[in-house]
Amino acid sequence: MNLFGLAPLLLILPLIGVFFNTVVGRRLVAADAPSGEKWSGWFATAMSGSAFIVAVLIFFSLPTVDYHAQTVVLWDWFNMPSTDFHVQWAMYFDTLSATMLLVVTGVGSLIHIYAIGYMHGDKDFARFFTYLNLFLFFMLILVTGNSYLMLFVGWEGVGLCSFLLIGFWYDKPNGVGILNGDAARKAFVANRVGDFAMIMAMSLTFWVFKTLEFEGVIETALHMFEEGGKAAPISFGMFTAEFQVVLSAITVLFLIGATGKSAQIPLFIWLPDAMAGPTPVSALIHAATMVTSGIYLITRSNVLFEIVRETGFQMAGIISVPDLVAVVGACTAVYAGLIAFTQFDVKKVLAYSTVSQLGFMIAAVGMGAYVAGMFHLITHAFFKALLFMGSGSIIHGMEHGHHHLHDHGHGGHGDDHHDDHHDDHHEDDFDPQDMRTMGGLWKKMPVTFGVYVIGSLALAGIFPFAGFWSKDEILAHAQVNEFAIFSFINIMLTIGAFCTAFYMTRQIKMVFFGEPRHEAAVHASESNRLMTRPLVFLAVLSVFGGFLNTPNFSEPEGYGSDYASEEKYEESGDHSETEAILAAGGSKTTFTLALEHWLEHSIQSFELTEEGVVHMPHTPIVLQYNVAVTSSIIAIGAILIAWFLVFRGYPMKPEDDDPLQAAPVIGTVWAFFQGLPLDSLYMNGWVKRVFLPLGEISNLIDWDFWHNFVHERLIRDTFVTSADFFSKVLDPLGVDGAVNGVGKSLRNFANGLRSTQTGNVGNYALGLFLGVAAVIAYFVFAA
Amino acid sequence: MGNLILFLILAVIAIGSAIMMLFSRNAVHSALWLILNFATIAVFYIILNAPFLAMVQITVYAGAIMVLFLFVIMLLGTEQGSGVLATRRGQLWTAAGLGLVVLGSIGTALVRIGGSSVQAAAADTSPRVLAMILFENFTFPFEVTGILLLVAVVGLYVMSKQLRKG
Amino acid sequence: MAVTIEWYIALSTILFTLGALGVLLRRNAIIIFMSVELMLNSANLLLVAFAHHLGDATGQVLVFFVMTVAAAEVAVGLALIVAIFQSKKSIDIGDVNLLRG
Repeated sequence: MNLFGLAPLLLILPLIGVFFNTVVGRRLVAADAPSGEKWSGWFATAMSGSAFIVAVLIFFSLPTVDYHAQTVVLWDWFNMPSTDFHVQWAMYFDTLSATMLLVVTGVGSLIHIYAIGYMHGDKDFARFFTYLNLFLFFMLILVTGNSYLMLFVGWEGVGLCSFLLIGFWYDKPNGVGILNGDAARKAFVANRVGDFAMIMAMSLTFWVFKTLEFEGVIETALHMFEEGGKAAPISFGMFTAEFQVVLSAITVLFLIGATGKSAQIPLFIWLPDAMAGPTPVSALIHAATMVTSGIYLITRSNVLFEIVRETGFQMAGIISVPDLVAVVGACTAVYAGLIAFTQFDVKKVLAYSTVSQLGFMIAAVGMGAYVAGMFHLITHAFFKALLFMGSGSIIHGMEHGHHHLHDHGHGGHGDDHHDDHHDDHHEDDFDPQDMRTMGGLWKKMPVTFGVYVIGSLALAGIFPFAGFWSKDEILAHAQVNEFAIFSFINIMLTIGAFCTAFYMTRQIKMVFFGEPRHEAAVHASESNRLMTRPLVFLAVLSVFGGFLNTPNFSEPEGYGSDYASEEKYEESGDHSETEAILAAGGSKTTFTLALEHWLEHSIQSFELTEEGVVHMPHTPIVLQYNVAVTSSIIAIGAILIAWFLVFRGYPMKPEDDDPLQAAPVIGTVWAFFQGLPLDSLYMNGWVKRVFLPLGEISNLIDWDFWHNFVHERLIRDTFVTSADFFSKVLDPLGVDGAVNGVGKSLRNFANGLRSTQTGNVGNYALGLFLGVAAVIAYFVFAA
Repeated sequence: MGNLILFLILAVIAIGSAIMMLFSRNAVHSALWLILNFATIAVFYIILNAPFLAMVQITVYAGAIMVLFLFVIMLLGTEQGSGVLATRRGQLWTAAGLGLVVLGSIGTALVRIGGSSVQAAAADTSPRVLAMILFENFTFPFEVTGILLLVAVVGLYVMSKQLRKG
Repeated sequence: MAVTIEWYIALSTILFTLGALGVLLRRNAIIIFMSVELMLNSANLLLVAFAHHLGDATGQVLVFFVMTVAAAEVAVGLALIVAIFQSKKSIDIGDVNLLRG
């Protein structure tokens, strides 16, 4: 059964949702909020859910075409024969994009349902779902595009939707709306840096490979590498560059693009601020889907990265691009993890956690562990969406408690949302997201507590939750390969794993345990079912998601002890082997490495290794017990340390310091990270030293030179002078003169002619006779 | 020789009467001089072997047309008018110059030809012959002329009705 | 000395020129009309003279046509003059200048 013909529905369905909510839903909500919200929200959810069904059908269609990538061409976009620039509006389905499709539409649909509950009562309910569907549309373009340009369309589109959704509450009073708008702009501008790199990368890609389609680029790249070697000259007209240099440039530009979208050092600063958006947005866009597009991009371009690794070209003689990718990811993982230690905002902790986990994924793909990166991407989508939505539930409960506090006489407000409180309540400085005001919520919100703990355990990497498998696969990959830099990454990621377990435990303890530290926490209540049901569903996924790619627990028959041996690895990754395993069905290995086998149809470098072109670092197929044990010990240790360290002295006041904050040496480090060093570096180093002085200079240029001199003197005066010349000299004398002159001379001529028309018959007769005489004289004298 | 003398006498009368017509201030006098002129021409017709035409000339021109002229002149009472010299100078001299040009041209042509032309045998010009020519060779022009006369009659009738109204 | 065709040409030319001068120089519309008649007659005379000279009566037949047209012309023309006189109270062509530009 081949259902790729349904592919356009993936894009059409969300678009229908967008149009429905733009045109109809908005009016329905305005007319009658309760029923209008049902229509608006459920319609959008239905579109998302239908897209999920289509994604599932495509998922199951791939085996029927033997896992060969399918291209569904919708129409031509650019076709310029003179430059070979031919881009089609086409969708590309292989196992990688199908995986992304399932994650995006699946998690997306759950978040849609959740958002119906979460956004209840918001005056812009329909607008929210418009953006959400629009986001889905662009995200699906991103993951299904068959070329870098199509990917870029989605890339920009999701950036736009991110901007719109971060600034969704731009009209909140008391300056909050302005801050939200600032956050949206910050995200947009930070992403522009990465997007610029993307454009550069695409330009270079097209220049070198004469195509932007993934298949064509990969094919051409391998061909060029095989034919010309790493030093093959690439002509740029004025100069030539070696193949490895150009490819390094392309891949490093892709990396910069990825650091923008996937929030890596140095561009991650936008993601924590993006938490200004509604929590479903944080869950969907800023945890599960959009921010993973950088990982998707690098995984999609894995052949280019592997070729660069193969050439061994080191930028500035220091580091090769894939290693740089891994180092950036590892550093981000640790750095953001440390910042997450110091946050008091329940969503900020998760935001930095997301940055940190994205660092894990980037590190994985940088090391060549593309499957591990994708694996972590999937499991992370489950548990981080869960955690974000859980935090939304917590915030919701706190809002409700706060509302209750100020509104005792007002019954039936259980569903009221915090966002419209500003309309009818005075604003105090209560922050429903501050963990210091929480505490003891596990009794008030049991479901949220349960799923939150599951999510946290999954994130911390406790056996057998999803994060354990995916994180360990990355760590194992770092350990078993002999590249020098991998040791560094191994250490960094282990520290990152420690941080993860620590800050999650800290958060759970602050939020759910102890005594309530604020009246709002006392009155908090569980969220409605619309919000909790998706949470439960995601919790199940977070528990079992790890079995997507369970490694072998022991050496498979005939594999030998040397799992790092290339030949053995190749055998395990071989197609026939896969098919044999699939055919065997029900054997012990059926469940192991399912994702690996699934994705190896798309991550082509596995196959290309056989041709001896690209040697990829390999991921162990057997569980690395030492890694598993080490990371488990670290995670459990971190949990215990955090449990006993955080908030020992109950009851605690909201304004009290964290114990770590008060400690002598650690407190300094704490303060450093709490001060968001990169943000303040940008502020002090860039904004104050460079940007504002440049602003002064540009003001000077703008006003004194540009406005006063160029505009006023040069342009305006010149214009006025010339206009005067035209209007007072040239026009009356020249143009008018010419026009009037023609008229005048015609009139004079006519007057002259008119005077010949005397009306006197004698004169006419004279003329006649003149003619007669002339004719006669002519015949007599001339003829 | 006798023919020439006769011709010259008649020519002088014709030219003289034409000049008198031209210069008479009184329109009635002009008409009368013109009748003399027409009569002279009728005599020329006889000399030129066209007796029938001479009769027609007398009856139609002198008898009908000129009577019509005189009738109108007297009807309107406009016999007294300005003479030739009342014309503007420019018109007068230009007209005179042009007249001299025409005369000079024809005269020059005649001098060039000389008197070498040969007289053909006299043709039969009885009314019967003329009628034969007219109705054999000029049937269509004859009919057209008839229509012309008809149109003139209708036109005059319409005009006279208009005049009566005015 | 026989009277050859040249004499008649000369005579006819003189008469024609005199008629033309009458048309050009007189202001009385009726006299202008009579001058036109004179010109027609000069032409008739020449036609007859050539008919005689060539021994062909066709020329004389043409004179009939001229006379017919002249008669019609006079009839219409005089009617026009009467009409002009009725509106202008004058038959001086100097007074008839509606066509003046």
